[in-house]
Amino acid sequence: MLTREAVIVNESGFHIRPAQLFTEQAAKFTSKISIAVKGTNTVADGKSILGLMTLGLAKGSEIVISAEGADEQEAIDALAELVQSGFGEA
Amino acid sequence: MQISSLLQEQAVLIPLNTADKQTSIEAMVDALAAGGSVTDRDAYLQAILAREQTGSTGIGFGFAIPHGKSAGVSRAALAFAKFARPVDWDSLDGNPVQAAFMIAVPAEAAGNEHLQILIALSRKLIHEEFREQLLQVQNAEQLTDLLETI
Repeated sequence: MLTREAVIVNESGFHIRPAQLFTEQAAKFTSKISIAVKGTNTVADGKSILGLMTLGLAKGSEIVISAEGADEQEAIDALAELVQSGFGEA
Repeated sequence: MQISSLLQEQAVLIPLNTADKQTSIEAMVDALAAGGSVTDRDAYLQAILAREQTGSTGIGFGFAIPHGKSAGVSRAALAFAKFARPVDWDSLDGNPVQAAFMIAVPAEAAGNEHLQILIALSRKLIHEEFREQLLQVQNAEQLTDLLETI
């Protein structure tokens, strides 16, 4: 399993659209993907929009992305990049 | 975030008998306008439709959360519809929608009020028991009770 820390940078946080983009990207990989709120036991399935929204992530929130499976390296690279890019939002 | 206080009684539509996503959205917008929290129906409708164009608000599990922030909204409010027949919402999981919450937030709302409402709703909808009970409610009073208890 690989993990990578990331920080939410987009102004409006992790609302439906970013959660949707994240799950769409996560679904391209066979690895099991999850997001944890750094420093807590709160974890959500990285392929569930509703699950990701329950985390209540706002700008500045620190997260830990985990990927486990055959394509975990590619998955974690792509997903960390997506979060760090602010999901293409300003 | 106590979302039951945002629920507008006139905008609880059980059942809502509509044929498609567009007419469903319009019916919910009209109900919010009738209740007074939406003062400019067309402006708010445009905000809702613009949001849907960036990606469906059908979040899976048979639910959708259309939402819009607009100058046509005088105060934050929540509408609910349980559809007489499932409606195709272009949902991400491909399944039709059985029920929807619509969120209205004023344009000048401080910070991320609609995000807080979305988070509060998603934290309820994630629970299968809540979703099952939600599809059983028959009126605004029962819905308010359910939103307060879980």
